[in-house]
Amino acid sequence: MRDAAPMPSAAAVPAVTMRGITKRFPGVVALEDVTLEVRRGELHAICGENGAGKSTLMKILSGVYQPDAGRLEVDGLPVRFTGTRSAERAGIAIIHQELALVEDLSVAANVFLGRERRDGLGLLDDRAMARECGRLLDALECRVSPRERTGSLRVGDQQLVEIAKALSLEASILVMDEPTSALTEAESARLERTIRRLLAGGTTILYISHKMDEVFRLADRITVLRDGRHVRTVDRAATTPREVTGWMVGRDVSAGPREARAAGRRLLEVRDLTLPWPDHPRGYRLSRVSLDLHSGEIVGVAGLMGAGRTELLEAIFGAGEPTWTGSISLDGRPVRFRHPREACDAGIAMVTEDRKRLGLFPDLDVAANVSLCSLAQAVRGGLVSPRVEDTLVAGPIRDTGVKTPGIHASIMGLSGGNQQKCIIGRWLLTEPRVLLLDDPTRGIDVGAKAELYALIDRLCRAGLGVIVTSSELPELLTLSDRIIVLAEGRLTAEFSRAEATEQAIMHAATGGTQCLAAGGH
Amino acid sequence: MSPSRASRSRSFLLRPNEWALVLAIGLAVGLTALVDANHSYWFRPLESLRDILRNTALLGIFALGATVVIIAGGIDLSAGSMIALSSTVCATAMLAISPAQMTAFKPVGPGAVAVGCLASLLAGFLVGTLHAWLITAVRLPPFIATLATLVGLRSLARALCESSTAVLTPTKSALINVSDPFFKTIRDNVWIPVAVFAMLAVFTWLLLTRTVLGRHLQALGGNEQAARLAGIRTDNVKWFAYCYGAMTAALAGLFYMANESVAAPVNQGRGHELNAIAAAVVGGCSLSGGVGTVPGTVLGTIFLRVVIDAVSKVIKTGADVYEGLIVGIVVVIAVTFAQVGQLAKGGRRLLPGALGLCAIPTLALLCGGIVAMTAGGRAGVAAGLGALVLLGLLRLWESRRTA
Repeated sequence: MRDAAPMPSAAAVPAVTMRGITKRFPGVVALEDVTLEVRRGELHAICGENGAGKSTLMKILSGVYQPDAGRLEVDGLPVRFTGTRSAERAGIAIIHQELALVEDLSVAANVFLGRERRDGLGLLDDRAMARECGRLLDALECRVSPRERTGSLRVGDQQLVEIAKALSLEASILVMDEPTSALTEAESARLERTIRRLLAGGTTILYISHKMDEVFRLADRITVLRDGRHVRTVDRAATTPREVTGWMVGRDVSAGPREARAAGRRLLEVRDLTLPWPDHPRGYRLSRVSLDLHSGEIVGVAGLMGAGRTELLEAIFGAGEPTWTGSISLDGRPVRFRHPREACDAGIAMVTEDRKRLGLFPDLDVAANVSLCSLAQAVRGGLVSPRVEDTLVAGPIRDTGVKTPGIHASIMGLSGGNQQKCIIGRWLLTEPRVLLLDDPTRGIDVGAKAELYALIDRLCRAGLGVIVTSSELPELLTLSDRIIVLAEGRLTAEFSRAEATEQAIMHAATGGTQCLAAGGH
Repeated sequence: MSPSRASRSRSFLLRPNEWALVLAIGLAVGLTALVDANHSYWFRPLESLRDILRNTALLGIFALGATVVIIAGGIDLSAGSMIALSSTVCATAMLAISPAQMTAFKPVGPGAVAVGCLASLLAGFLVGTLHAWLITAVRLPPFIATLATLVGLRSLARALCESSTAVLTPTKSALINVSDPFFKTIRDNVWIPVAVFAMLAVFTWLLLTRTVLGRHLQALGGNEQAARLAGIRTDNVKWFAYCYGAMTAALAGLFYMANESVAAPVNQGRGHELNAIAAAVVGGCSLSGGVGTVPGTVLGTIFLRVVIDAVSKVIKTGADVYEGLIVGIVVVIAVTFAQVGQLAKGGRRLLPGALGLCAIPTLALLCGGIVAMTAGGRAGVAAGLGALVLLGLLRLWESRRTA
């Protein structure tokens, strides 16, 4: 462990000072008069709910946005950034929450994008870039080839490539905007090791995260923002996670023990599901996975990134290639869906991971996003009746507790939690019996998470069978009646609610990879 | 985020950009009335109106098809060739049914006309199906698939024309004359294409705003993967979109044939696909899909035709010489205009760095050249120098603002 106390001489001149920062967007004040001091060499965590202004503040620090008011100082000298390039020259690099990679370029090309190494003839020196990139990836314990196409990597690895890119700048101030939101526990752990190495090397890190355990393991000081305002900055040692979440939401949040649910009849039966994976040494994405789901039951699927969680849900939902073998039965009848439409008609709904890419329609308003799957219900006399559609969507919008300025507001103006509620509402309109939730709370703030948990619990009590995957074990432990664990496409364990602990699940999830991890060192 | 690009507009009747188009149309008409030395808008208003209406209706019919394809996230480059194929198919069908009457410029009878028209629409359906198959099953990008049919269909139409005339008439020919009174009536009565255009516009508007299919078209264009995962059969929706695009072009082809009393696959509809896409884009469609309205496309079409008409009136040379130039300029200005708000408040610059510096003489040269060719050398030099000074000032202002 590192000592939390910074050296007095370094503390005299803060690495970064932001004074009175105000930033307005059309219709909202994202930041109002925020003042923040970051000491050299510390890890300064920025906490707040989504929409609190954390990302905006970091984008101002890294030159993405220009503030409407306020001043910025680096090492005590006033600076003014006109873009990320000028911030990079001042030694500030940012790792964005939303990945900013060119999918068709190789990993190495992405890391050196805009700062390409050249050889004596002025041509691209791919070999030098690949070598250097390989070194950076090794430091992150990331096992991908620098020459691989970036688009073919999983989200978790793509995030590590972003981090490698920032590291290659050798920035003295590093901004990390929810770097672990797409990472599995193991990947987060290896990122933590990297962060500790960087801190030991004198780098100053600003760290945005929703995950309190992470913040309290890493941070020296914690700043809480709420509704675009600075609430307070405290030493980690002087506070508790509960206190910080309280400041974040402005109220006391606790999940509380929940009443037991009673499982009903069997809805879904998966037997020996095997999904081949051609052109891959392993040969399969899923191998002989079996699973039962009853009505009124929540089954959690744990596993590291690439373990096959999404593939399992997609096979059930008919969203992937229907090349699997084994059997899936719904209500005792064998089914093989070739298109999500068939699964919808049979009463299965799936809330996909990666809301922005796979769930939202940015050009449609809130109502149209919710009614999309069941618009036929609003048809009167051959045409969609706007009035009937409005009444139709009012139900799920109310039931799921979506907070929106109006049902015809832009969906992109809502927070992540409210967008996710809209998507769940979309599926509730189809009156499903089985609800598949793929990492439903990714990138969603604490308060909204608790609301989503309550919603899922309520739906389950109403008789739905729910399968939920998550990158966060506490979430699965909170939600699930049973938890199955996947490791590299195999089912390695199944726990009842009483048996499940984080350690036991983690052990089962890494079961298949222990040899590989040992070989990597 | 741009202001809510919702499926249902909450603003008064039209969206702001559509009101701007209405204003621009009025402005263009007013200016032409003032500047035109022949004063044809004053002295022959009906004739001018008829001209503009006919051209607008013909372009508008397949611009509506282009709008549906673009909203669904695709592009159809083949409309112009589809027009040529449609007119050739119709003429060939009539020639096959009654070769004697066709070659003698006599009426062929309603039966032959009906078969001809239906054959054209069927050809549209088949071409749309081919596009959808190439795009969804073979997985070609829409640009490539319809680029192939852009060149391929015109050639096919010419081959069809030559081989059918070789077999059915005494001499092989690159065109087939059509003189049935049905088509003469269409040619002489401008209200027919206008009525067809209006009905098609209302139909397309209802389709896009008030049907499940229309919503699915928007969803598909907005986010294809999400649409599939929401249970939308995206391949079928695409099939519909491309058939709609090709069939509206086929319908327009019949009107072009009626208008010119001939099926001439060598030149009919050549380049028109780009005018249709331009009309949709000027009307607010986004080429990345998911965004666009029927009123926008209708206004975009009117605006395009009014400006083309204005230039031909003012400079009194054939409008076709300058048509491409006008369409190009109008598209650039309309789309730039749509971002004016963003340019004004964001830190973005129109003339940044070395590129901006080189763009200034390029634009000035272009401006001076166009004016010199239309209004004489002296005016051209003045316009070029004026543009140079104005752009230079804009550059100065921009660099002072961001410094």
